[in-house]
Amino acid sequence: MRLRTTLLLTTAVLASAAQADDKIVFATNWKAQAAHGGFYQALVDGTYKKYGLDVTIQQGGPSVNNRPLLPAGKIDFLMTGNLLHSFDNAKNKVPTIAVAAMFQKDPQALLAHPGQGHEKFEALKNAPVALIAKDGQFSWWQWLRVTHGFQDAALKPYNYNLGPFLANPKAIQQGYSVAEPIYVENQGKFKPVVHLLADHGFSTYSTLIEARTETVKNKPDLVQRFVDASAIGWVNYLYGNRQAAAAAMVKDNPEMTVAEMEASVALMKGQGIVDSGEAAAKGIGAMSPARVRDFYEQMVKAGLYKAGEVDLTQVATYQFVNKGVGQDVKARLTGAK
Amino acid sequence: MPAPAPAAPTEPAAPLLALQGVDRRYPGGLLALQSVSLAVQAGEFVALLGPSGCGKSTVLRLLAGLDEPSTGTVGAPARRPGPDGQTAFVFQEPTLMPWARVADNVALPLRLQRRPAAEVDAAVQGVLARVGLAGFARAWPAQLSGGMKMRVSIARALVTRPRVLLMDEPFAALDDITRQRLNDELLQWWQAQRLTALFVTHSVAEAVFLSQRVLVMAARPGRVVDELRIDQPYPRAPGWRHTPAFAAACARLSAALQGAAVAG
Amino acid sequence: MSGWRATLGRAALPVAVALAVLAGWELLVRAAGIPEFTLPAPSRVAQALAEHGASLAGSWWYTLKITFGALALACAGGVLIAALFALSPALERALFPLAVVLQVTPIVAVAPLILIYVDSTTAALLLCAWIVAFFPILSNTVIGLRATDPQLRELFRLYRATPWQRLALLRAPSALPYFLAGLKISGGLSLIGAVTAEMVAGAAGRETGLASRILEASFRTETPKMFAALVLLVATGVLIFAGFNALSRALLGPWHAAESSRPH
Repeated sequence: MRLRTTLLLTTAVLASAAQADDKIVFATNWKAQAAHGGFYQALVDGTYKKYGLDVTIQQGGPSVNNRPLLPAGKIDFLMTGNLLHSFDNAKNKVPTIAVAAMFQKDPQALLAHPGQGHEKFEALKNAPVALIAKDGQFSWWQWLRVTHGFQDAALKPYNYNLGPFLANPKAIQQGYSVAEPIYVENQGKFKPVVHLLADHGFSTYSTLIEARTETVKNKPDLVQRFVDASAIGWVNYLYGNRQAAAAAMVKDNPEMTVAEMEASVALMKGQGIVDSGEAAAKGIGAMSPARVRDFYEQMVKAGLYKAGEVDLTQVATYQFVNKGVGQDVKARLTGAK
Repeated sequence: MPAPAPAAPTEPAAPLLALQGVDRRYPGGLLALQSVSLAVQAGEFVALLGPSGCGKSTVLRLLAGLDEPSTGTVGAPARRPGPDGQTAFVFQEPTLMPWARVADNVALPLRLQRRPAAEVDAAVQGVLARVGLAGFARAWPAQLSGGMKMRVSIARALVTRPRVLLMDEPFAALDDITRQRLNDELLQWWQAQRLTALFVTHSVAEAVFLSQRVLVMAARPGRVVDELRIDQPYPRAPGWRHTPAFAAACARLSAALQGAAVAG
Repeated sequence: MSGWRATLGRAALPVAVALAVLAGWELLVRAAGIPEFTLPAPSRVAQALAEHGASLAGSWWYTLKITFGALALACAGGVLIAALFALSPALERALFPLAVVLQVTPIVAVAPLILIYVDSTTAALLLCAWIVAFFPILSNTVIGLRATDPQLRELFRLYRATPWQRLALLRAPSALPYFLAGLKISGGLSLIGAVTAEMVAGAAGRETGLASRILEASFRTETPKMFAALVLLVATGVLIFAGFNALSRALLGPWHAAESSRPH
């Protein structure tokens, strides 16, 4: 009698232990917006849970810098905006590495007022005022300076307030091609001219997932599960029912509206930000070493790095992507339309 | 041989300093002086004796042109247009400019008159020698003792060769030995420069020792209540302080002060 | 002990402490294996300083230009406006509240706006640093100009000094200790204002200062370089402090209680 009770209890305890999900924290690089949609989708529709993950999404923001938290061990995965962060980390021997790239195109763009002669990209370098935020000032702005002739004298700090741009017709400012133009149209009542940096040689991946190298070495299964679940989350977000994800993001960022997010998703699809090129063939999150190397060489030419300064094997690992994860879900959702 | 004291004039020539029926009322109602009349002839040494609050400092300031009467008239060289520097004032504190050396402090009145530098230097040197501070021209006030600072203050007062010397309890903050020595020297300076001196004090002994006439004042309201002539020729030896005549004069004045205090 | 040997002796203790702190820091980093992107060891920082010295020197020079330029403007503005306030109490009543508003407005909040509205980044940085440095000089000089000895004021009146003579010979020297106290405070604040403004400006403008380089190094995770620039900033602050202390001692030493070496 007592033996059976003990056996039952033990089995229950072992079973529940096996079923305990891995608690992980994923930090983003901005307040919740459509560009984070896939992750929130995976959270609210149970995909992360299905993969045994108990995920907490920690927002970034204008005065929040989540980047040091990853090497410090305070978070498990980090969203970064472009490969330059990964190059810097590798150069400074920071033990982190990119494991997936959710965006095939960097939505980083320059916005301008229509009718000011800024319809051509080449004219932008002569704008008297360029509103660029800190992060960009010390990274891709340097590339714009060296490769496209932009001037530091025109640079003014951008504090995520549209006011100065709206007030000055000759000003240009930074933004995500899938976000700021929507806000500019809502507040300024005009459609801005949008120049995607990716169309002019800034060929980096974007919205990458970074992890500690020790996590990749010691818990590769955990990393794989997170990458896979996130990719499926993105498929569901783009092609399925987004309502619950939208509600979750508005809860985290009350200043966001569902209408803005819908418009953003449309732009993401139209500009091929997420699901294009390599991703269309090999699944969302796809990365290739050739493209990473090519981007690095361009940045060397732009003077941001010295040749051979960065060990590209420490920049990204390709073991978790390019496996077509989520393609079946996408076929089901788009085929059904 | 000590020179005979200059005789105080017996018939009233026009006094150099005079108050006639002067009231001084301050805003708020305080009556500092009530119907005060007094006169000082040229060359006289007169003491104003009285307790705190009797208005003796106000009298000096009126004569210096630093204050105005509410009623009555005040006559003094400082109040008439004309060359300034005729009236000198010595305060109870040395009132030196701490950021300037002794020589620059003494030179101030001449510099304010825009005298040429050579004249200023000569005058400063001369007056410093006269007050016994010959080697101290480049010293800072902070380096001097209380008595020496007061000498500098007097030197500054004398540098313009004034006609009138107004002094407001200048030695009150000094120790007895220094005070007595300065009393002696003050009389020498007064005689040498033929000054007209009006000396305010609350020390009976000092008033008797220094002056030819002592005016006793009472407080609340400020008014002159008594006058005593001190008929002792100059120079007055230090030993005179221990004579019965001196004591008698002191007693007389003390009584007058007491009486005024009780009556007032 | 004479001159330089005494100074060396006095410096021995603080230098020993500083070296001990650096040694402790180095040992801590090595023993705990702290990675250099979290906390670089002093030896690593020194290496970064040598490596990037030339380019950091340019930025250092720019920060110095902003700091001292703003300080000079703050002196000029503060003294001028204080003098105007001294001449016109009505003007002071009208404008002093505005000065207080300038003082309490946090520069961190205002700097982004100024950088947008003012075309030249250098002018914007100067303005930000000036706003922070200006008030202590104004406030202290106003008090200083009022702090003249009342009896010295009377003395100047007695000798019929002109308003200009009063300002130059009495009020300005009286105000000097207060002005220097304000200057000591403003020196440090000017550096802080320049650094804060540079932090907001980032890479904007033709030249950039040390704070901008600190930001840049921080964004690129180049922590040793960040510390190297920080060392230069701290050195600047210390030099400013020591420099103004020396100035104060030189100007006030002989006569002001604050700087006098006599025990009190």
